[in-house]
Amino acid sequence: MTSAFWPQGNFVARSVGMPDIPRVQLPHPVAGTGQQNMQQVADDVVDNVILALTGRESTA
Amino acid sequence: MNRSPVLEAVSEEAALEQLHEMGCTDGLPVVIPTPDRVARMVLAMVHAPEISLGQMGPNFGECTFERLAACAVMAGCTADHAPVVVAAAQAILDPRFDLTEMQSTTYATAPLLIVNGPARTWTGLESGYGALGPGFRANASIGRALRLAMINIGGGRAGQSDMALLGHAGKFTMCLAEDEENSPFPPLHEDRRCPAGSSAVTVIGADAPSSIMINVDADDPTCGDRVLASFAAAFANPITNNVALGGGQAALALNPDHAALLADLGHTRRSIAEGVCERAVVAGADFAKTAGWMRPPRDGQEIRCFEDPDDLLIFVAGGGGLYSAAFASWCAGPHRNQAVTVTIETDLSCEVPGMQ
Repeated sequence: MTSAFWPQGNFVARSVGMPDIPRVQLPHPVAGTGQQNMQQVADDVVDNVILALTGRESTA
Repeated sequence: MNRSPVLEAVSEEAALEQLHEMGCTDGLPVVIPTPDRVARMVLAMVHAPEISLGQMGPNFGECTFERLAACAVMAGCTADHAPVVVAAAQAILDPRFDLTEMQSTTYATAPLLIVNGPARTWTGLESGYGALGPGFRANASIGRALRLAMINIGGGRAGQSDMALLGHAGKFTMCLAEDEENSPFPPLHEDRRCPAGSSAVTVIGADAPSSIMINVDADDPTCGDRVLASFAAAFANPITNNVALGGGQAALALNPDHAALLADLGHTRRSIAEGVCERAVVAGADFAKTAGWMRPPRDGQEIRCFEDPDDLLIFVAGGGGLYSAAFASWCAGPHRNQAVTVTIETDLSCEVPGMQ
């Protein structure tokens, strides 16, 4: 989720009983910022997504 | 046991500051919900304090009668307001209302409460001039009680869980009665399958009202069409969610003069809704220039605001004059944030010692 919605994500995670659910922060905004920027955001966070989901560093 | 903890403070002033600091208010001063005041409000709600009406999202807090009573006390409600507050809470807890999603959206939406039947009289709810503005205790307190429940039980807090980008002033309170005495049509709730003579509250998630200027002229044979076209124009705006998303509902407050003119022309609530729905259309080309990315129109396609005349809630309220009012809506959520009507239980109430 993007930084602007990070507190809401934390709130929902707690309220549904999954406070430790893996999540990765993106810069805000992402929507509408153009393909080039979105590709850069994806490149920047992909290792964090893998780490959050697997608990392991990316080997790529 | 679903009983609430009791906080302590050295004075009512200190208690108020504590409630502000805890984020339990709407930013305005509240009546301190002392155990005695809450217990009396629970009595007015005529149910055991620990009984829950359901879980209120996005926090999924149990909406017990005790917690709801505390919110009603904080909002300044009297015992007479209690049954309306309970019915309004039941309405927003109905799954069709999509409360969790509505509380969480970035859209500017708030519950609009429309009360019908004898409850309007014994609560003192206003339906005429300025009914949605300041100055009317029942209107202000009942709507505010629901908002305080959405904050304290549902957990809707700005920027944390309620992500409305700007919000609107109706999020403090947006409650009124239908002006049944000056309406040429059956009361709204009776057209929504409530028994004649009953009391009910209809709740719809709504934008702030938008004024619709119409200069009626009884000598103008096209006046009826102009009125319906004007109502439709208030909704047929390609950048509203009613057009951009579609499939949702909306409310239309007819002022008594506009209602009387249409009734004199032979219109019913249903025929007005049909006439507005038929005219509330945006040309595909206009839609494509603005919000068309939401659902790209095919060549020549018209975008309709409403799929069914029942999606337009029409009621009579406000003073007579130039303006009626349109309430567009969010139109999202699993059930498209549907309006819900709940009968107000009036047979169970009793006189509560020490309360008005």
